[in-house]
Amino acid sequence: MSIPIYTYDAIIVGAGLAGNAAARELKNEGKNVAVITKLHPLRSHSGAAQGGINAALSSADSIELHEFDTVKGSDYLADQDAVEFMCQKAPETVRWAERMGATFSRKEDGQIAQRPFGGQSSPRACYAKDRIGLTLLQTIYEQASRLGVKFLDEWYATDLIYKDGKVSGIVAFHLRDTQIAIFNAKSVMFATGGYARAFKISSNAHANTGDGLSIVARHGLPLEDMEFVQFHPSGLSGNGVLISEAARGEGGKLFNSKGERFMERYAPNALELASRDVVSRAIVNEIREGRGVGPRKDAVYLDVTHLGKDLIMQRLPELRDLAITFLGLDMIKEPILISATAHYSMGGIPVDIPGHVRKNNTEFVEGFYAAGECSCVSVHGANRLGANSVLEALLFGRFVGKTMASEIDDIVLRPATEDDAKRAIDEINWILNNNGDERVAQLRDELQDTMTDHAGAFRTEESLQVAVDKIKELRQRHKNIRIDDKSKVFNTELQEALEFGHMLDYAKFIVESAIARKESRGAHFREDFDKRDDVNFLKHTMGYMDTSGDIKLDYMDVTLGKHELKERTY
Amino acid sequence: MSRETVTTQEVKFNVFRFNADDDYLPYYKEYTLEVTSEDVVLDILNKIKWEHDGSFSYRRSCRHGICGACAMKVNGRSTLACKERMMDMIELFGNEMTLEPLSVKRAVKDLIIDKSDFWEKHAKIDPYLVDEIDETPEHENLVSQADMDKLLDADVCIQCGACHYACPAVAINEEFIGPAAFAAAYRFEIDARDQSNNARLEIVDQEKQGVWDCVKCFECQEACPKDINPIEKITKLHNMIFKEGMANNDVAARHAVGFERSIKKHGILDEGELVRYSEGNIGVLKHVPVALKMFKKGKIVLPWKMPKADKLDEIKKLVESSSTVKY
Repeated sequence: MSIPIYTYDAIIVGAGLAGNAAARELKNEGKNVAVITKLHPLRSHSGAAQGGINAALSSADSIELHEFDTVKGSDYLADQDAVEFMCQKAPETVRWAERMGATFSRKEDGQIAQRPFGGQSSPRACYAKDRIGLTLLQTIYEQASRLGVKFLDEWYATDLIYKDGKVSGIVAFHLRDTQIAIFNAKSVMFATGGYARAFKISSNAHANTGDGLSIVARHGLPLEDMEFVQFHPSGLSGNGVLISEAARGEGGKLFNSKGERFMERYAPNALELASRDVVSRAIVNEIREGRGVGPRKDAVYLDVTHLGKDLIMQRLPELRDLAITFLGLDMIKEPILISATAHYSMGGIPVDIPGHVRKNNTEFVEGFYAAGECSCVSVHGANRLGANSVLEALLFGRFVGKTMASEIDDIVLRPATEDDAKRAIDEINWILNNNGDERVAQLRDELQDTMTDHAGAFRTEESLQVAVDKIKELRQRHKNIRIDDKSKVFNTELQEALEFGHMLDYAKFIVESAIARKESRGAHFREDFDKRDDVNFLKHTMGYMDTSGDIKLDYMDVTLGKHELKERTY
Repeated sequence: MSRETVTTQEVKFNVFRFNADDDYLPYYKEYTLEVTSEDVVLDILNKIKWEHDGSFSYRRSCRHGICGACAMKVNGRSTLACKERMMDMIELFGNEMTLEPLSVKRAVKDLIIDKSDFWEKHAKIDPYLVDEIDETPEHENLVSQADMDKLLDADVCIQCGACHYACPAVAINEEFIGPAAFAAAYRFEIDARDQSNNARLEIVDQEKQGVWDCVKCFECQEACPKDINPIEKITKLHNMIFKEGMANNDVAARHAVGFERSIKKHGILDEGELVRYSEGNIGVLKHVPVALKMFKKGKIVLPWKMPKADKLDEIKKLVESSSTVKY
């Protein structure tokens, strides 16, 4: 089979907010850029963001306050120089999105409307009803297309071309016909999204299989802070589909089976609008202690009925629709059933502020960049604040695109050869031809169950060890898979098998990083070490996988700043 | 209908199967599955793939109705698989149903279709805000909520294609841009910030491809899983074309004006005169065979026998007070 080699200045993998924003910058600077995505750009999971995008726009708010809330929310694990950069650029970024056509909701005077969100001292989340992601994704894609950015839809990236500490392209195949191709480029950016699909109860799209992270890790490059997975307080009971924090931001209340507004016990000041990790643990704890509701007693009530029909229809129409579809409950008339759901990946591919991917604590990979949820800058530390994720993706995506444009002329294209596709071809052929008796869907179910049950909102050494052992077992059984589909046309079973291989690899990082972090910080809560330990663990985890699949952990200092360490209460 | 218990029942599915590389013709395969009261249609597709035949293929991603990937048909009715409750499907269709792609003739693999025509038509209407983008703005544009509300949620369209492949005009006229792209044209054209100077109206005013070839069957409204109501936007575009004085003196525009003339004159529709007015005195001749048939059945009458509506005066006043047409 001959392998076509396509050449570009820059290749971006992933077409969500970060990928589109970077592509637009590169194109604006006259660079030859292509974006490849396993979906269509408008199917990217950025579009699912509901509540808002943070920016200190109003005179009652300030950049410093936004920084402080972000750093406190992160449980002081965020790098404060990166947080400062983000919060300072946030107002310009939001207004830039507005200028490009985003359909923000408006105040009386025509300015962008803002709503309160969890863990924030001021109403800071700029919103578009309850569909901020949809309008931002459409807008940045529209404007990138307008400039002529080339989009390659339904191409699945399987490997990175990484040699001698430099990246010179990617290998991908077209889902339509399984044709493998090499995309040879001076620089490559990963904007491949999050990894919460490793959990059974998850708000994430089917596509969020963290492919980019495992592709990177298989080359011996590090992954940072992988133990930090955010469990969002309000996933719909049963399937984990997200009900935005906007529901609580607008005034929604939580109740247990006894009718108690239980947040009074866990966060007496902020109540339902405490930080996400705090509210999620409160909900899980209520359920564990037998005060759950619903058919499986695995949920609590979220009540917005007191807001009234008009406000709900004006500000939360999508959420109402979701609860009707999945629960048969109309939030205008009755409380709905929610519980914690795996939602956001704080960890990821380590990068500096301009977006260079780290080779280790001090060195960087030439020609390789990352932004958005797949990356770890780190602006979210141990726990992300609501409405900071779309901000991060759009803002860093854009500025990493600028970095790439400014550095691209200094990089010499290193021509790729067909040999560079060997790993990808071997992997695909192995899956197509392996004749075992294990089913990918079955193994994936077992992995997801294990992650939710043993590496969830509450963790112990014991529970995490169960997960470590299970992943070890699944990696053995994975060698014995077989798929039904041997065809070359939209072989979605081949795709699922590749994705599952990625999930198995990064799940190992999650649990091994979590077992080693013997403290509780942000979203990582250890019942056997229930306090934050700044003496031993005020540092980022850096995990490296060797060729046999074993993981070695190292640590990297946190960049501190003007916001001093304090105990975190809400 | 609060969910205090979860119930299950058996449903038989006839599923469209096709592989463009291997199969000369598509075929239907039968699966009988246990369906729970919590399932949506996407759960059924997943069960077939994960528990019965791994080769079964369909597009999907977000699983909560916001990405638009999983549009398909249940018993010929367009829907988003991830947002359609199985209980509602069973209530509508009973315990046997057929699962098919949005367009059988565009099928590539099972429920996956080639949507290139959809995206090409979308690209035709300049689907982006036309304005010089300030890259480092210190202020946003000031726009009232009332102006934003004029978008009538056209910006909420998720490009799933359900309306496009349900549209009979799209099915028979390759040039017809289609309801989803028209809704997008409206979304940008009505945006107070857009500076395109009616460029999109010119595109959608063209014969064959434009809004005048809409047959007003309301299938798009029926098919849309997000309640975008594309035909409402198509009608708005008709009005905007007239308001801007841009309508061409062609059959399509004269057909619309002919309606108004007839109602003004008679209070009811004069079918024969409408065709003559739209097509002109020569063009109308090609319709003579149909006209004769209609005449025999009393559907059209001789001009001097055309009846008038009761209260014609009131109808005339209504037409005048509501009309904004410059033509």
